[in-house]
Amino acid sequence: MSELRTILLAEDNPKDVELTLEAMAENNLANQVVVVKDGVEALEYLRCEGKYKLRKAGNPALILLDIKMPRMDGIEVLRRIRSDVALKRIPVVVLTSSREEKDLINTYDLGVNAYVVKPVSFQQFIEAVKQIGSFWAVLNELPPEGGL
Amino acid sequence: MKKQNQSEAKTFRQKAEELLKNKSAQSVLRLSENKIQQLIYDLEVSQIELELQSQELTFQNEEKEKRADELIIANKELLFQNEEKEKRADELGIANKELLFQNEEKEKRAAELVIANKELAFQNEEKEKRADELIIANKELLFQNEEKEKRAAELSIANKQLESFSYSVSHDLRAPLRHIDGYVDLLLRRFYDTLPDKAKHYLDNIADSSRQMGILIDDLLQFSRTGRQEMRQTELDMNSIVQEVLKPIKQDNPNRNIEWHIATMPPIYGDQALLRLVWTNLLSNAVKFTRNREKAIITITVRDEKDEFIFEVTDNGVGFDMQYAQKLFDVFQRLHPTDEFEGTGIGLANVRQIILKHGGRTWAEAKPDEGATFYFSLPKEAEKGSRQ
Repeated sequence: MSELRTILLAEDNPKDVELTLEAMAENNLANQVVVVKDGVEALEYLRCEGKYKLRKAGNPALILLDIKMPRMDGIEVLRRIRSDVALKRIPVVVLTSSREEKDLINTYDLGVNAYVVKPVSFQQFIEAVKQIGSFWAVLNELPPEGGL
Repeated sequence: MKKQNQSEAKTFRQKAEELLKNKSAQSVLRLSENKIQQLIYDLEVSQIELELQSQELTFQNEEKEKRADELIIANKELLFQNEEKEKRADELGIANKELLFQNEEKEKRAAELVIANKELAFQNEEKEKRADELIIANKELLFQNEEKEKRAAELSIANKQLESFSYSVSHDLRAPLRHIDGYVDLLLRRFYDTLPDKAKHYLDNIADSSRQMGILIDDLLQFSRTGRQEMRQTELDMNSIVQEVLKPIKQDNPNRNIEWHIATMPPIYGDQALLRLVWTNLLSNAVKFTRNREKAIITITVRDEKDEFIFEVTDNGVGFDMQYAQKLFDVFQRLHPTDEFEGTGIGLANVRQIILKHGGRTWAEAKPDEGATFYFSLPKEAEKGSRQ
């Protein structure tokens, strides 16, 4: 646990990105966050493709996934991650403002680890991020890297 | 006779012989003898013939008598036949009269049949008119059914549109609210020391308003969802529902002195989840609006009316002015300022909507500062297909 664990944040709205990073900063987690703005970029990062070709290898400890994103949305990303042998063990937490039944059903059916609805109150959001971070990025035992 | 003739001939002959010494007399005698012989012969023949004829006649007579007898029998028979014939003729006479009578009857029947046929023909015309009317009515019914199906389809589309509208609201409206709250919070957090008090105050109000808006959106979404929800009606035990609802209310208000009087309620037919919401709203309200009482007294009773049950929740709280009672069950309508009693005013609107779906009614009575009673009725028969 000495090594800093990377958190991949997939979020298209820049304000939400900023607020999430601020919330993580309040919890000293900001250094480890990689931000991508849609599903396509998320997969590029995970597969070390495109502009991420030369990144340090290894899966992130956690993926924070928004659902509504352009080009490729969160559900599709989740589907591809869970069907990729190298990626399917990565913990994924959906972080969204939608509590719609169909989103819950689809993501849980695809094997999401957790589903967090962003509270309107920023104070509560900070608290939520703290809990998420301290569990997934600190306490949780990381899965072994998936073999190819 | 033959013998007589022969003896006579013989006698004659003897006499003749005696006399006959004379040859000529003999010859004449012989001639005469021959003639006599011949005559005797002829006589005998005649006699035989006569006898034959006599026999024949006797026979004929016998036959004639037989024929006569037969004729008599035949005549008797004929007489008898004639009698029979007359009887038959009489019977035929009666039969003819009968037939005549029958014919008259038949003609009466025929006349009646003609009338009946006319009647039947008329009936058939009526029947065909009815059949035509029925066809028109059926076409009308088919048209109505098509309209009904169109309406049902439109309703289904409207519901789906409302569903996706709710989804948009849920997702899209919340995002800017979070941002407002987030940035206000960050301002206060990061720049607290450099901000003048007034600025802090303004920022607090901004945060409050956005939070309020968040609650309003949640309430409205919930209200809309309840309205569109399919009712799942089963037989329910109201007593256990009330007890379930009371648990969290008591837990959330541990320091309150509340006296509960709850009557035993009959089993009713309804949607469990929705009715739980009704009780939650009504009892939370009773608890909230009796906050300023030393001892709150909340009573739940039920009245058995002919076709329905009437449930009553009475409290000794702050009450309200009956003048504004109309607005009580409207969406977001409140009769008390928010700083005295928090809330968005959606609770009673939910209650009314749910009770309406069950086919019941809602109303309330109160006096300012003298408590309030909230009523709702539920029909004893399950409500079929009531939609908002």
